[in-house]
Amino acid sequence: MGVGSARTRTGVSLSIARDPSLVRTVRLVAAAVVRRASEDEELVEEIRLAIGEACAVLVAGLSGAATDDAEGDRLQLEIDVDSGRLFVTVRSAGDGLLSAAPGAGDTMVDPWALLRGLSDDLVVETQDGRTALAMSWSL
Amino acid sequence: MDLSLDTRQEGDHTVIAVSGEIDVYTAPKLRDRISELVSDGSYHLVVDMENVDFLDSTGLGVLVGGLKKLRTHDGSMQLVCTQERLLKIFRITQLAKVFAIHDSLADALASK
Repeated sequence: MGVGSARTRTGVSLSIARDPSLVRTVRLVAAAVVRRASEDEELVEEIRLAIGEACAVLVAGLSGAATDDAEGDRLQLEIDVDSGRLFVTVRSAGDGLLSAAPGAGDTMVDPWALLRGLSDDLVVETQDGRTALAMSWSL
Repeated sequence: MDLSLDTRQEGDHTVIAVSGEIDVYTAPKLRDRISELVSDGSYHLVVDMENVDFLDSTGLGVLVGGLKKLRTHDGSMQLVCTQERLLKIFRITQLAKVFAIHDSLADALASK
């Protein structure tokens, strides 16, 4: 895999429990993966931030996210590089509507604003009680 | 180290020097520290973010909540931040207009 490869795929998938303490782990892995694909440190930082924000929203911010099934308790991240573009998808239980994030303090800042500002093509899809956030960047 | 908070008094201001990452997991720690300080009568806070490595919307929410709380006591919150990656976050969320963000601790301490 390298920068500029036409059909390089990282095929990285990561699954964590929906536990805020684990979001940092996701950011570390994501940054390492992105650094393999791009030497642009500013881009790496932007994607790290976006992934961290997406995970924070799905871990703590979505209404209807409490679930008893094992899969619903987990957050899944996928990172792929294809045709000079990096694709990120983050999935978890939840209906896409933001509730007050526990422990967030008295004031909720709209994380969609931050995500929209970091990615030109943020897509939020909700189906069968699960939400997926998809973003991509040109490398 | 996830998040470290070093609090000290500088004249009329209380400085919270933050090191590490302010995210969905660690933001409550900052929120609680700000709440404690306000409860103790410290109404002019300076949050030094020069050693902050990460900030998400949860962290922003804590800062906004803290600012609101201080203002109910006619207090203030100054931020010290020169890191472009953090300033970008404030700009994207339009919060650069809400907070007083300074280039140096000296400038922040001179403000209220």
